[in-house]
Amino acid sequence: QMKSMATGRIIIEEEDLEGPLWTLEMALLESDVEMNVAERMLDTIRDSMIGESRKQVDTTAELVQEALYDALLDVISVGQFDFDERLRQADKPVVIIFTGVNGVGKTTSIAKMTEYLEKQGLSSVMANGDTYRAGANEQIRKHAENLDRKLIAHEQGGDPAAVIYDAVEYAEAHDIDVVLGDTAGRLHTSNDLMAQLEKINRVVEPDMTLFVDEAVAGQDAVQRAKKFDEAAEIDGAILTKADADSQGGAAISIAYVTGKPILFLGTGQGYDDMERFDPEELVSSLLADEE
Amino acid sequence: MVLDDLGSSLRGSLNKLQGKSRLSKEDVEEIVKEIQRSLLQADVEVALVMDLSKSIKKRALEEEPPGGTTARDHILKIVYEEMVELVGDSTEIPLEPQTIMLAGLQGSGKTTTAAKMAWWFSKKGLRPAVIQTDTFRPGAYDQAKQMCERAEVEFYGDPDEEDPVKIAREGMEATDDADVHIVDTAGRHALESDLIDEIEEIEEAVNPELNLLVLDAAIGQGAKKQAQEFDNSIGIGGVVITKLDGTAKGGGALTAVNETGSSISFLGTGETVQDIERFEPNGFISRLLGMGDLKQLSERV
Ligand SMILES: Nc1nc2c(ncn2[C@@H]2O[C@H](COP(=O)(O)OP(=O)(O)OP(=O)(O)O)[C@@H](O)[C@H]2O)c(=O)[nH]1
Ligand SMILES: Nc1nc2c(ncn2[C@@H]2O[C@H](COP(=O)(O)OP(=O)(O)OP(=O)(O)O)[C@@H](O)[C@H]2O)c(=O)[nH]1
Ligand SMILES: [Mg+2]
Ligand SMILES: [Mg+2]
Repeated sequence: QMKSMATGRIIIEEEDLEGPLWTLEMALLESDVEMNVAERMLDTIRDSMIGESRKQVDTTAELVQEALYDALLDVISVGQFDFDERLRQADKPVVIIFTGVNGVGKTTSIAKMTEYLEKQGLSSVMANGDTYRAGANEQIRKHAENLDRKLIAHEQGGDPAAVIYDAVEYAEAHDIDVVLGDTAGRLHTSNDLMAQLEKINRVVEPDMTLFVDEAVAGQDAVQRAKKFDEAAEIDGAILTKADADSQGGAAISIAYVTGKPILFLGTGQGYDDMERFDPEELVSSLLADEE
Repeated sequence: MVLDDLGSSLRGSLNKLQGKSRLSKEDVEEIVKEIQRSLLQADVEVALVMDLSKSIKKRALEEEPPGGTTARDHILKIVYEEMVELVGDSTEIPLEPQTIMLAGLQGSGKTTTAAKMAWWFSKKGLRPAVIQTDTFRPGAYDQAKQMCERAEVEFYGDPDEEDPVKIAREGMEATDDADVHIVDTAGRHALESDLIDEIEEIEEAVNPELNLLVLDAAIGQGAKKQAQEFDNSIGIGGVVITKLDGTAKGGGALTAVNETGSSISFLGTGETVQDIERFEPNGFISRLLGMGDLKQLSERV
């Protein structure tokens, strides 16, 4: 055992941890971290701290809090990669497919992404793989017009994989760097639509699949991230509506169950309202109330 | 429907009580803990869960089970009653001429719900019209128009007008013949004060009998703040829960109902115009707790 400068060290017992861990569990739940995820993280902290000794000057609560900060950062930093660099290095055209449940912000994120890519000096074409929802074509077309981008779209009811395939051909013929493929929103409980997503994935063989979910999502984030990752393996996630006053604990849930990084945050409805995700910032804000 | 492991531990603890006629303090504590877990996993707000579980615990310890009632049935009855007390009955929707405005966060399902509700009213023999005031979201006009065509109901919108308040006013006049006016609005959240001001103006222009807050079943703890803000600004008379065809339990709606002193009106269970149901407390509570028919049991006790 290490010799301490302090007058004495105190061994941490299980009872000492109960109170602080409970407080932190409630804080995590209030931030929308999924319950099982929160509990598993806190269990790890409990196991690692029992029997350790602490300096008299530190309280157990502080130590637990620090351990949680590190544990959260560990989870949320998983698999982070340099998105821009990966795109620059990849063979062109790079095909990126956006997936996620209904209304989370896939189409809007594609519009933001095409703007983001433009700023990186990468050209892109949008492909409307949502051949299902009312007004889907008109919505993405309006975005394409506003941004002066090429859009490939088919009639409603068409085959989504075929649309994206057409966009890839267009990109090849016109030297476009990136194809951004939209998909219709679907709930992970819809077997037909999840099978369709698998098919799109198989036929198109995208270079990257980005799962879109919203920062305001609660406990269900775990279920859907898992199911979407199973149907069409994801490379990373975009968390939208981060401007809507939520703590964004869904980010932790998603990163924990998929082991894939959160890459971008949506912070509004404008085309510039998309930021690279900063793991440390999220963790600090998650624990802010407790500090 | 996927009834995952949620609620199964609750069922487990309850089964342990099988045959017992009296609840010990430990029994109650264990069960209340499981109920807490179920509610938290259903996205009910943390503080509300603590309040609820406190009163359940108190009653379970203090009240004598009626003669012949098992301890298990007694506690289930208490849980059911406390939940019913909180959610109340379905929002009253009279089958008569009226104006209903929909409000809520971006992407929560307002436009889809507007068409669904119009379809619902038309099946009840009334003549509905949907007025689309969303001038912001690209394609909002076309989306609402197409949904209304599918519902075979009257639609008003103006793709060339930029002022939602003007559309609202003109839409009310243009659809004067309709019995029920359903006013769709653009998505907005609690922090967008300019957009909150805007919806107040729309509400002034259409003077609705009822404002419904449309909430995604998957919304988390943020439901509280959102519900508070919308209630402060336009007054919320009811909540619609959408996307209940997924695995989310819709506990955020419970929080919203508690915050606004309102009730739940409709449930959305799919993307087509027919996928709408009137709210019914029993099914919703059973789903929240991941349990079977509690009402039946509570009536039997
Ligand atoms: N406040 C805010 N709103 C957003 C953000 N991203 C998207 N939205 C809004 O959310 C709503 C839904 O966005 P869409 O892009 O249509 O979502 P989607 O996932 O494509 O929806 P479906 O195709 O119907 O499944 C729109 O009103 C968007 O303007 C964001 O980061 N912040
Ligand atoms: N599965 C399912 N999808 C739904 C339900 N209600 C709405 N949706 C889908 O959710 C997405 C968003 O619905 P909208 O009606 O566009 O939502 P909104 O609130 O009008 O969105 P904004 O106008 O952008 O704020 C669409 O893909 C709808 O088809 C539902 O009950 N179940
Ligand atoms: Mg879309
Ligand atoms: Mg809408």
